[in-house]
This record gives sequence, C-alpha cells and structure tokens, in this order.
Amino acid sequence: MARDRIAGRRRLTQKQAAALLLLPFFAVYAMFLVYPFLRGIWISLHDWNLLAVAFNPDAKEFIGFENYQRVMWGQNIEWSAWASPALQVVGLAGAGLAAFLRRTDRMSRATAIALGLASVLLFVLPGFHPGEGGRWYDRRFWPTVGNTLVFVGLTVPGVTLTALVIAAAINRETRAMAVLRTLFFLSQVLSVTVVTLIWQIMFSPRQGLIANITEVFGGTPIVWLTDQQFAMAAIVITTIWWSLGIAMILFLAGLQDISADLYEAGALDNATGVRAFRHITLPNLKRTITLVIVLQIILHFQVFGQSHLMTQGGPNDTTQVLVRYIYQTGFRDSELGRASAMAVFLFVIMSGFSVLQFVVGREDDR
Amino acid sequence: MNTRGYYWLVVALSVPAFLWLVPTLWMVSLSFQPNEVLARTTSTTALGLLPIPFTAENYGALFTFGQTPWWFLNSVIVALGMTLGVLLVSTTAGYALARLDFPFKRALILAALAGLMVPEQAVFIPLYTMFADFGWHNSYHALILPRMAVPIGVFLMMQFFKAIPDDIEEAARLEGVGWLQIFWYVMLPLARPAMMTLAILTFLYAWNDYLWPLVSAQKREFFTITLGLASIQSNFAQSEGLGRVMASGVIASLPVVLLFLIFQRYVVQAMTVGGSKG
Amino acid sequence: MKQILIGAAFAAGFAVPGVAQEVTLGRFFGACEDAGTDTKASVGEACIIQSIINAASAGIDGVTVETLPTDWGNYYDQIKAAYAGGTPPDVHVMHRHRVPEFAGLGALAELSDDLAAAGIDPDDWAPAARDAVSFDGGIYGVPMDFHANLWHVNMDLMAEAGLVEDGKPVLPSSPEELLKHAQMVKEATGQDYLAADFAQFPIGVRLVLALMWQQGANIFDGDTATINDAAALNAVTAITQLFDADLADPQLNYADSQQAFLNGEAAVLVNGTWVVDLYDAEAAKAETGLNDYYAADFPTLFDQGATWADSHMWAIPASLKANDPETFGAALKVLAFINDHNIDWARTGHMAVRTSVLESADYAALPHRDEYATTASIARDTPPSERYGAIQDVLNRELQAIWLTDKPVETALADAEAEVQDLLDR
Repeated sequence: MARDRIAGRRRLTQKQAAALLLLPFFAVYAMFLVYPFLRGIWISLHDWNLLAVAFNPDAKEFIGFENYQRVMWGQNIEWSAWASPALQVVGLAGAGLAAFLRRTDRMSRATAIALGLASVLLFVLPGFHPGEGGRWYDRRFWPTVGNTLVFVGLTVPGVTLTALVIAAAINRETRAMAVLRTLFFLSQVLSVTVVTLIWQIMFSPRQGLIANITEVFGGTPIVWLTDQQFAMAAIVITTIWWSLGIAMILFLAGLQDISADLYEAGALDNATGVRAFRHITLPNLKRTITLVIVLQIILHFQVFGQSHLMTQGGPNDTTQVLVRYIYQTGFRDSELGRASAMAVFLFVIMSGFSVLQFVVGREDDR
Repeated sequence: MNTRGYYWLVVALSVPAFLWLVPTLWMVSLSFQPNEVLARTTSTTALGLLPIPFTAENYGALFTFGQTPWWFLNSVIVALGMTLGVLLVSTTAGYALARLDFPFKRALILAALAGLMVPEQAVFIPLYTMFADFGWHNSYHALILPRMAVPIGVFLMMQFFKAIPDDIEEAARLEGVGWLQIFWYVMLPLARPAMMTLAILTFLYAWNDYLWPLVSAQKREFFTITLGLASIQSNFAQSEGLGRVMASGVIASLPVVLLFLIFQRYVVQAMTVGGSKG
Repeated sequence: MKQILIGAAFAAGFAVPGVAQEVTLGRFFGACEDAGTDTKASVGEACIIQSIINAASAGIDGVTVETLPTDWGNYYDQIKAAYAGGTPPDVHVMHRHRVPEFAGLGALAELSDDLAAAGIDPDDWAPAARDAVSFDGGIYGVPMDFHANLWHVNMDLMAEAGLVEDGKPVLPSSPEELLKHAQMVKEATGQDYLAADFAQFPIGVRLVLALMWQQGANIFDGDTATINDAAALNAVTAITQLFDADLADPQLNYADSQQAFLNGEAAVLVNGTWVVDLYDAEAAKAETGLNDYYAADFPTLFDQGATWADSHMWAIPASLKANDPETFGAALKVLAFINDHNIDWARTGHMAVRTSVLESADYAALPHRDEYATTASIARDTPPSERYGAIQDVLNRELQAIWLTDKPVETALADAEAEVQDLLDR
C-alpha cells in the first residue's frame, strides 16, 4: 500500500517537486516581507496620517522625498572638518590605519575597505551642522541615531567580551561546567517585558536591590533610570545580562571546533592559560568573533523594549532609540510617512552591516 | 589543567554565575512576599533575596482573578503556531534550495538571502497598514504569519541539508523513490536535530516578541503574556502590588525556562549548527 | 432520545432572552483584577472604575462588558492602532484634550440625539463638563470627571515647620515665599519640602504650565508658540530654586515621588486629584510615614489662581453607531450606568461632572472634599490642539533637560519654542 502511494507520486519531476516545496516559503516571503518592504518605501513618499487615511483612503498626499528631508536635513546645513573634532579625528585615524594595514598587507582587502568606509563616514557625517541661523528640521532624529549607536557601541563589546571570557573558562565537558553554562544562559530565555520588569525594580532608588546594597554600605543610592549619566548604562547593563547567552553558546561552539592538538602543541611551547588563549584560541576564533559581533550589531540596533519600558526614552531623550522614535512617530503622532522614512533609514544601515557580514564571511572561506 | 586548578576555576566562576542568577532569584523571592510589606521595604530578609515573611497569596490571586492565564494560553498558541509554520516553510524550502536542481535556483537563493537584510522593525508599519486593510488585526494569524516570512530558518535548514552526504539520496533515487518521498522519509528524519533547534529558537522568539503584538493585538483574546506584562508594570498600576506583578513575571517565564532546561542540549546544538556555518 | 435532548437544548436556549450583548471596553487607570461589583467599597482609580464596570456588566440586562487589557503608557497608541485597524473597542475612555484629534477625524460617534433615550441628561452636566465633550457643536462623549493638580500635604511635617494655621497648611503666595517655606521645612524636619514626578511622567510640565497661567501667559497662542519669555522663565526658576537649594529632588519618578511622600520624606507632593482617597487610606495605616493628610488647592504664586486640569470622558466609535445599532445601544447603556455612578467615581478624589452630584450632601461629605473646593474654579489647560501629546512631550523633554541635565533655562525654552512651533506648523 505504502509502496503504491510512493509509486503513484513518483511522476513528479524534480522541477515540479522543487516548485511545490518552495511555494509555501516564497508565498509568505513575498506577501509578508517583500511586499511590505516595498509598500514601506511607497508610504515614506507620502504625507500619510495613520487615522486620517484609515477613515479616508484618499487622505494621503504624494510628496516625494520631503519626509526624508524633514527628518534628516535642515536649514542652512553646512559641512566643516571641525564640527565635531573628536569623532572626526577618530574617523581620519581609522581611515589612515586601514590604508596602512592594507599597504603592509596585514589586513585583507575587504576588511580594509569596510574599515576605511566606516572611518570615512565617521569623518564626513559628524561634519554636518547647522550654519548661522540654521537648524535641523527634526532636532531629535540625529541625536536618536547617536543614542542608538552609543547603545550598540557599549552593548556589543560588553556582551562579546563577557561571553568570550566566560565561554573560554567553562569550555569543559564536566557536570559543573554544564550547570554554570545553564546559569549564564538562563536569563536569555526571559522575555523583554520580564527582563525590564526585573531591572526596573533592581534599579529603583527606593525598592531596588542595588539601592539596598548601597545602603548597607552607607552610600546614597543612584537614581539609575532618571539620571542622564546612568540611564543609558542601566539599559546597557540590562541588555548585557539578558543577551549574554547566545553569544556565549556561539563561542562555545567555535571553541569546540578548535582541535585539542593545537593546545597540546602549544603546551610544548609553554603556551598555557592566558598565553594559550591569546595565541591559540583568539586567532582560531576570529570568524566566530566576527559573526557574534555582526549578529549583535544587527540585533541591538533594533533595540526597543528596554528603552520603551524602562526609561521611556528619558531623561531628556538620552535613551531615545531609533525604533522607539519610529514607533512614536507612527503611532503617537500618526505620521506614518515620516516614520516610514526613518524605517527605510534603519534598513539602509542594517543592510550595510549585513553586506559587511557577507563580505567578511566570504573572505574567510577563501 | 590539573584537578586543583579546575576546582579553583569552578569556585571562581560560581561567583559571577550566582550574580547572574540574582536578579531572577530576586523576582522569585519578591513574588512570595506580602504586598503590604513590599510597599514599605523590599529588603526584609537577606536584602530581599529570601522570601521571609512568606506568602503564596500573589499566585492565588493571579489564578483566581487574573488575566494572566488567558495571556499565557494565547502565548502558547501563538508560539506553537509560529513554530510549526516556520518549520514547515523552512524545511521544504531549505531542502529544495539545498538539494534540488531547477531554473533560477541561484537567483532564488539570492532573493531569499536579501530578505535577511530587512529588519523586522523596518517593516512593521507597512505590515500594520496592510493587515488593517485586510481587517486581519486581532487574530492568531496576524500574530503568526509575518514571522514565517523571515528567511533565517530557511538558511539554517539549507546549510544542514547541504551537509548531508549525497550517497544517501542517490541510493534512494536508484530505488526509484520520488523527490517528495525522499524529503519526507529520508531527509526530514535526518534533519530532526536541526529542526528541534530551529523549533526551540522560534518558540523562544515568538514567546518574547513585543513590538508586533503591541501594534497588532488589542483584544484580550489575542493579548500575549509579553504584552500583558508590559501592561501591568506601568507606574500607575500600583493597585496590584509589587508582589503580584512579580508573580506574573514568574508565571510568564516558567514555561520558557522549563523548556530550556529540558531541551538545552538542542539549544546548544542549534548554535553549533547555525554558528559555525552561518 | 436524541431528538428529545436536542429539543430540550433548544428550549433551554430559548428560555434565555437572547444572547447577552457583549460590549468591549478600553480604558487606562491600571489593572484591578479583584475589584468585585461593589461600587461603594473599592479604593483607588483602577479598582473603583473596574468595580463600576463589573457592576454594569452584572447589572444591565442582556449586556456583558469585557474590559480590554491596555497599558497606560501605550494607551493612545493602541487606541489609534485599533481605530486604524477597524477594530476599536465599543466604548473607551479618553481625555478631553484628545477630542480635537479623534472627533476632528470623524472617529467618534456624535451622541446628541441618543443621550436622552439612553437615560443620560446632558443638562445635568456642569457647563465645563459639557464643553469638555463638545466639538464643533456636537457631543462626542459622556464626561466622567474633572481632574486637576493638587498639593497633597503632610500636615505633621508642616506643623513641625510652623506652617499650619487653623488646621490648614500655610502655602506660599510667591516664589520667594516658596523658597522660604522650603527652607523652614528643611530646618525643622530635615525633609524635602516638595516632591513630584519631575523625571518621567509630565507632572513637572503641569506644574510649570500652572505657574505660567498664573501670570496670564500660555505656551502657544493660535499658531504661534510663546514659550521663550519672561513668564516661562519665572515659572521654571520658581521650581529650580528648590532643586538648587537641595530642597526638592528632580530625579524622582511617579512611583518614587509618591513613595517619598508616603514615607514622610516630603511635606508636599504635587499630583492629581486621582490619589486623594488612596492617600487618605494610606494615612489611616499606622505603618506609613504619612499620618495627617490634607489635600490643598494649588497655591497662587503669581497674579491669578490656576492649576492644570483635564477631563476623563467615555466615547463610542462612529463606526459602531453606523454599522451595529444593537451593540451601540448596549454601549450607550454602559455609558448611562457610568454616568449614574458619578458619585462613586468622585470618591477617587476627582471632581464630579453632574450638577446633581456636585450639589449633593454625599459629595460634600467625601473626605477632604472641602479642602480643595476652589480647584474647580482655577482649572486650566493648554489651548486645544491635535498635537497635544507631542507638545507635552517636547515640554517634558526640555524641562527634564533643565533640571536633570543642567541645560541652561534660556536655551531649553528657546528649543522648546522652536519645536512646538514646528508642531504647530505641521
């Protein structure tokens, strides 16, 4: 009976089988990713009020790139090499370093191009500033992008370093290490609302555990979430605590791929402990590290819940991040067109990182 | 490393591991303390890490009156639905892209690959208006379908299927077995670990999703636990009391924590498959 | 046998007079899951409103009410998303300040001709309440309260500082006196004079607005933002002088400032009418640091009395009235029920909207009611605007920048003016 059924269906050609198997995915893909993506671009070219258009589909108005201009540009915007010296000097230095390392062949071409490009952007972008009597049309947008970058810039190294050190330490197949691994991973499975619930209370100056401990030692509790010096740190700490697990597991996987022979050979050269970590583990883990960093950047650039629930973007917008601004513009201010323009901006940044990941990944395969 | 060094390492690592656990422990401890006490101080015993004075009242109230059981059920339905959906589209497409030969194959792979560059947060507004036009908001499919379009699962499965040696398939072909049968009877059983991994990751993701349910679900029938928890932690929802809020947090976390503890082998495996090949 | 069973099932089905009409209800105020149906016993906004809703669900024949879960922080975002998605709740609460935005787009049902039949008498509403729900000559909702900022006072701390006379707190009548009183409290008790949520929720904004109105100024006039002026500077400095002298803490959020007040760490808490019964209940408990509680009118520090105020009201979507007369009828019954329980809602501390309630002995007998009797006459709000939410947010950010991040007041006010102007121009 079963054989009959098999024989009956055998006539499906390879092409037909492929079509049948590909259909479910590409159907949902076209409908719920490709189409919305194109539609998002289309919305971003309109003056589109969420409620007004819902009640009257004709209430939208095509305005070309005005939303982009209103969000990203301003009046009398000028460029100078010294508008934001600190960032721009770093940018210049980065570009020089990339050129030097490439020249001396200490860096692969693609990596050098990536670093060089990022550095040039760092030099060029902060150079824009409103000139005499000028102003940004949207004063919040670029600071929001900046906050998001700061968040990413603190969280990604924080998670990567912590996870790497822990992974290297617990990379042993023993019961005790498995328990430790579980403990470090556990917070990763909690949902963002539980995580923010816990840490909001943790950070509370009156009810918080951190404040309780501070008071035992006679200190004055920090008002974490409403102090501009600490609010960003608070959500970064929360995020590191939350998202350490996956990075750690990725590192463990990478570590297991490193042959034990290498360490044995290293031991003969007197490379154990920290020296072995530096000279054997790190070089062999390069690819995993890159992967972890890029994945983290993509993930954390989209941060929303921590900022939305813990600080509401405050105090004074110091923790306002891009996705929260998109959400606010779209749903609080009903300006879907503007919000979509920001979403397209987010996409451009994200795809930049994705291409980078692709390039770096490809290169190592060679 | 010698044995003594190993023990020292375990001891040294226990300290940060415990610190890592403290916030979660604290939540559990607070959930077992009376609200009247918590309103004044959260550090009655051992900085509040031990639930003394003890009460289970917060949990009782949660199940007697709360909407938490409802939210919980919704989250289970959405997370299971999304997991099954993602498994379906990822295994089929992953297999076809990895092992079948057909026109425009490279183009299709690239097209799907391009989808990895579109962050979900960048499309939630057009998705929202689209679902509004169809009148699809406040439904399980509204919560499930958009997530099935994310191609990461396809790539995970594709990588896995690519790594399976050709001779298994060839043997079946020689017997005259059709492509679909090979997929169903040969490939899927082999792919079980990878599927398990994908399933767990998807389940965790679905359980924790926040932004999309926030804009799509307004009715109780479709509120997920993640969303529900956000609604009770605002400054103004003080009538519920800290202990009760924390109890909701514990209840919301229990299934994923249990799931993880039972299946953590697969989670680790998942990362190994996805990680070294991704 | 089977037929008999089915027949019996049918008969049972017919015995119930129709299926109960379900009305979905959206509200903020926070969750109170064990509110019960006793509208006279509940305490606090969340539980009082939920007990009224539960009572409506149980009491109105053929109608059940399902309260939707919505959280405060995202309430209007979610309501908008629901309207835009075509699935708004059948009745929902909103603020007066949102009427221009929602009614202006045609989202809300016009109720003038439906109220009387439902047993709601608009003539019983105080004139200001009727104004609150009116837009372009139509009535777009049923008002539930006026709420305003009060000065919640810890009388024990005030007495220690010698700031009590005839059983009433002595409140400042000028910015200079405010500073002096604050110093007196600090010296006598070591505690802060004033606490409020300056750090998250815009209570600080409402404080500054009140002080601007007290000087006859406002944040915008027609299409022109007027924030960068002497009045705003005076208003802000009146408050920042307390921070500078360490007599108040700008970093407390809503929960923390409230906790500080209840712990007896601040003599005055600036907060709304919505917490009067809650604080009254807390003061009755021995273990709190607040034992003698007084709810005072917002004092006049400048020329004329003014305090920030708004109204809660209930509305029905226009689509429901147009497409589903049965549910619309049921929704109106729910609104009528809420309207009939105006006195219960007033127990929160809010001011009632119905003349018959305002003049009743029950109302006058509510705790502390006589202490803030003047508030109704000094209630103010910013001019109506479709961008109320965004404007509040601008002010909140810039004021936070002043007291939390040391941004110069002039710069912050200039920035706020520019941004509000942008919003008005959009």
